[in-house]
Amino acid sequence: MAANAAQQAPTPNWPYGSNSSGESKVHENPEWEKARQALASISKSQNSTKTSPTNHTTQQTGPYQATDSSAMQQQQQQYYQQWYQQNQQQYAGYPYPYNYYYPMPPYGGPYPPGQYGVPGGYQTPATPTGQAPAMPMMEDQSIRPGYQGYQTPAYQPPQQQGPGQGLYGGPGRVDAKKPNNSNMNKGGQQLWQRMKRDQAPGLASPTATNPSPGSVAATSTTSTGAAQTRPQDWPQAMKEYVQRCFTACESEEDKDRTEKVLKDLLQSRLQDGSAYTIDWTREPLPDLKTKQSRWEAVPQRSQENAIGRGGATRGRLGARLGNYRNVFSQRSPSSSSSHSSRSSSRSPSPHSRHRDRSRHHRSDSGSQSDSSMSSDPRLPLSRRQQKGGRGRGAGRERGRGAAGERGRGRGKANRGRRNMEDLASGIGKKRKGGNAGLDFHDPNREAKKQSRAARFHTKLRTEPLVLNINVFDLPNGTQEGLSWDECPIVGTCQDITKNYLRLTCAPDPATVRPISVLRKSLIAVKTHWKSNQDYLYACEQMKSIRQDLTVQGVRTDFTVEVYETHARIALEKGDHEEFNQCQTQLKALYKDCSSDNVGEFTSYRLIYYIFTKNSGDLTTELVYLTPELRADPCVAHALELRNAWALGNFHRFFKLYQNAPRMAAYLIDKFVERERNLALRAILKTFRPSVPVEYVQSSLAFSDLDSCLAFLTGLGVTFTPSDPSKIDCKVSSASLTTL
Amino acid sequence: MAHITLNQYLQQVLEAIDSRDGAFCAEMLSFKHPHVANPRLQLSSPEEKSMHLHCIFTMCSSFQAHKEENWALPIMFAATLDLRIFANNAEQQLQSKGKGKVGDMLEKAAEQLMSCFRVCASDNRAGIDDSKKWGMLFLINQLFKIYFKINKLHLCKPLIRAIDSSNLKDDYSTAQRVTYKYYVGRKAMFDSDFKQAEEYLAFSFTHCHRSCQRNKRLILIYLLPVKMLLGHMPTHQLLKKYDLMQFADVTKAVSEGNLLLLNEALVKHETFFIRCGIFLILEKLKIITYRNLFKKVYHLLKTHQLPLDAFLVALKMMKVEDVDIDEVQCILANLIYMGHIKGYISHQHQKLVVSKQNPFPPLSSVS
Repeated sequence: MAANAAQQAPTPNWPYGSNSSGESKVHENPEWEKARQALASISKSQNSTKTSPTNHTTQQTGPYQATDSSAMQQQQQQYYQQWYQQNQQQYAGYPYPYNYYYPMPPYGGPYPPGQYGVPGGYQTPATPTGQAPAMPMMEDQSIRPGYQGYQTPAYQPPQQQGPGQGLYGGPGRVDAKKPNNSNMNKGGQQLWQRMKRDQAPGLASPTATNPSPGSVAATSTTSTGAAQTRPQDWPQAMKEYVQRCFTACESEEDKDRTEKVLKDLLQSRLQDGSAYTIDWTREPLPDLKTKQSRWEAVPQRSQENAIGRGGATRGRLGARLGNYRNVFSQRSPSSSSSHSSRSSSRSPSPHSRHRDRSRHHRSDSGSQSDSSMSSDPRLPLSRRQQKGGRGRGAGRERGRGAAGERGRGRGKANRGRRNMEDLASGIGKKRKGGNAGLDFHDPNREAKKQSRAARFHTKLRTEPLVLNINVFDLPNGTQEGLSWDECPIVGTCQDITKNYLRLTCAPDPATVRPISVLRKSLIAVKTHWKSNQDYLYACEQMKSIRQDLTVQGVRTDFTVEVYETHARIALEKGDHEEFNQCQTQLKALYKDCSSDNVGEFTSYRLIYYIFTKNSGDLTTELVYLTPELRADPCVAHALELRNAWALGNFHRFFKLYQNAPRMAAYLIDKFVERERNLALRAILKTFRPSVPVEYVQSSLAFSDLDSCLAFLTGLGVTFTPSDPSKIDCKVSSASLTTL
Repeated sequence: MAHITLNQYLQQVLEAIDSRDGAFCAEMLSFKHPHVANPRLQLSSPEEKSMHLHCIFTMCSSFQAHKEENWALPIMFAATLDLRIFANNAEQQLQSKGKGKVGDMLEKAAEQLMSCFRVCASDNRAGIDDSKKWGMLFLINQLFKIYFKINKLHLCKPLIRAIDSSNLKDDYSTAQRVTYKYYVGRKAMFDSDFKQAEEYLAFSFTHCHRSCQRNKRLILIYLLPVKMLLGHMPTHQLLKKYDLMQFADVTKAVSEGNLLLLNEALVKHETFFIRCGIFLILEKLKIITYRNLFKKVYHLLKTHQLPLDAFLVALKMMKVEDVDIDEVQCILANLIYMGHIKGYISHQHQKLVVSKQNPFPPLSSVS
């Protein structure tokens, strides 16, 4: 409930907003609304402009409220009274009488733009005491029309309780409508009723929405003015169609969605006159998925997918490629693959069929041309769009699983997911492959499906609603901005080698290599590297492998291996940019995938922090070192190195440098010069009168005398005149400090 | 107050705004105010909650319209404080679920704070009394808290510069200045500028309100290592008073030149020190400990020409692993280079020759 309310809260469509879940919403949202208005008034009160979007609506509703039956007032009064008595004591101590703030307008009248600048009216019944009671619940809603929505159920006949009822749900109108729909059953009539009400404000300009209660004709005339029709004149078939739509609804949420869709649909149909010409019995039902909330029957999903497989490819494709007004409505295709079981595919339930149908329709009414025009290469794109709406972690998790599974098994991956699913499940045998192209023109088929599906519409939801919140909360879902992990692309490229090209648009599966190929690629790059030592080539190949992995959202041990390999190659050649990129990725990857080299790369990170002298990061890294990691020979070495470095113990530092495990020495090379320089300064300052070059060479870990001498002369060190194997410390020290 | 209705609450807020009562309004808008406990504000979906925050921020931005006044600063303070705390909690929740990039939430919060800061800093009106610059230090302190948490100390630099060049820097409230100096002192410590670190942290410590024992303890955690590096050892009573006995052994070891004890103490409280971020600083105390140890050797031998072997024996006594004469030279070289020992090493004779006058100058005069 709460989720639903939250979703709808931002819609400015308040008059419709009071649906069945309105109760909770009315509780929760008015506060925000009011706060927002108060805030708006703060900024606006300066130049005393009192315009607010809600102002508008409130004033419209005013007159309507004023004509409400006195029974309502009485009831309200009683209601208030009750509350008042309950709360009086509590608020007695409140220093200001309510009137002080809110001079009472006649009930329901628009509040004059007062000193507080709260737009809209504050409607309180005139209680005998003349003082408005402080009612924790009611008071907050007073500035919104939604307030009415809360009130109405109290005095309306019980069967009237339904979404969209609030504003127009006057009892008189219901009666007036009856004759028009005499042939309908009660439920349908009610819905039809509702539909018409919804029709009105949707078609009318906002200011015209001022129905006088009980006068249906007036309402519909104003509202449908654009189409020059009255509800009475609407074709019977259309009415029946509307009724059918609502009968199909399984829940209140569905009804709301249907209302919205129908409103748009009917409006356009009426306007262009096609409402009188088209065959309404063949008109597909609106897509209930438009506003799929987190509420949904869990088991339904798999069944639906199963059905989709067997039947309505077109609908699915259309729905996928069609205009997605609401991203939340998209079911990610990968979810279908991971959730659908083959066993369920043979026993479709009515609901699933219906759901599929309704989605089908959506594509119809919305973007037929779109779906028929689309070709395979577009698939990944739309798929990603779908993904975007879903929980990120969820999409990613699924995407990974699906990609992994497919990368190995399938060759024709670029056929698009749909077909692959068909192949996999075996159901698609009768219509595999190019069906997507074949079936885009068959109105009869469409109608047949429609009527078939209609048979199931009366069935109601049997499964309990389950809040699917966990979908968004999968473990180890590391989110990195707009992640590639969300798009389950599977490559089809079979080339072992591929040049790296920075992606500027959505990746094309035809140019992406699946994992099986990438494994070969990695081996090929490794052998090439060993024999040729061609870094440019290796780097480019590794980058393209990395890219293919990223694009396909693959985060497995193989990914770790790729990054480790590239990191090592980059390290060997001193390409720190690539090395760091790999390190960053590895750090994240190690959280998910185990590797024997965690210690090695942790030690590289520690050493790198020494290089950057980043004591802050170094400390942070130390915090996360587990005892096991500390025991790792690489890490232990790095820690010792750090210790020696921190204390300026160059002797120990260079000893460790000489005994660096794995490729740590390559990394230390990066700053060994700097450390030698520092150490030399200390040596020159310390020793008197001279120090042998040999000592410097061994202390500073020069491999041979020549390189040491080159280093010394490079710094302008002076040797003693008598013995060139010794350094004149005093003179050298002076010259060194001036450097 | 606890049972205030939302309407009453909003009225009070409005009234406070109308009367330009920034402090009261801030109190009202803060998440510490009891109105937050109102059950109707407890929504199940957290996105909604942030809406309140959003409301407040809309409000804050509307204050940009109040070009000529600064009465609303307390409101901004309350809002930014809440923002940071929320970001912190969000971060922790995300981390506990293993989701999200580390520091992402906090960085976003910092962005918001920066935009507030820019508004304040760009207030160039002449009048000091109603200048929005009075809001700078508070915002900077909030930003510091975030930057220190996410290890982005380099981002502090422009902020510090802004305050340094401000003519108000000594006129902010003591509380704000204490916080500010605490963070700047810590930053100086990480940058190995111990003199400045000592100055700032000492200011913080002496000006911190006596009732804020927790804050004083926090300051001491950083002030102590800095002081020790500069040769000032804390007394036992002080450590006891602030429950910082983790430092007791360290202090003892350093002043005695007991390298062994120091190593033991550091290992023993390693987690605490690392968590506080001072482990690497305390490690530098080893250098001081070497100095004190060698000073003892010097006093024992009572000569100015000290054989290097003597130091080797001393180090081996302290169970320094696989130490050799070259390393002794190296350690001595460092001490001489840093100025802890006045003298030189004769490589030829393998001796340390120390100055006849004051061969081990007091630590406070060094560095």
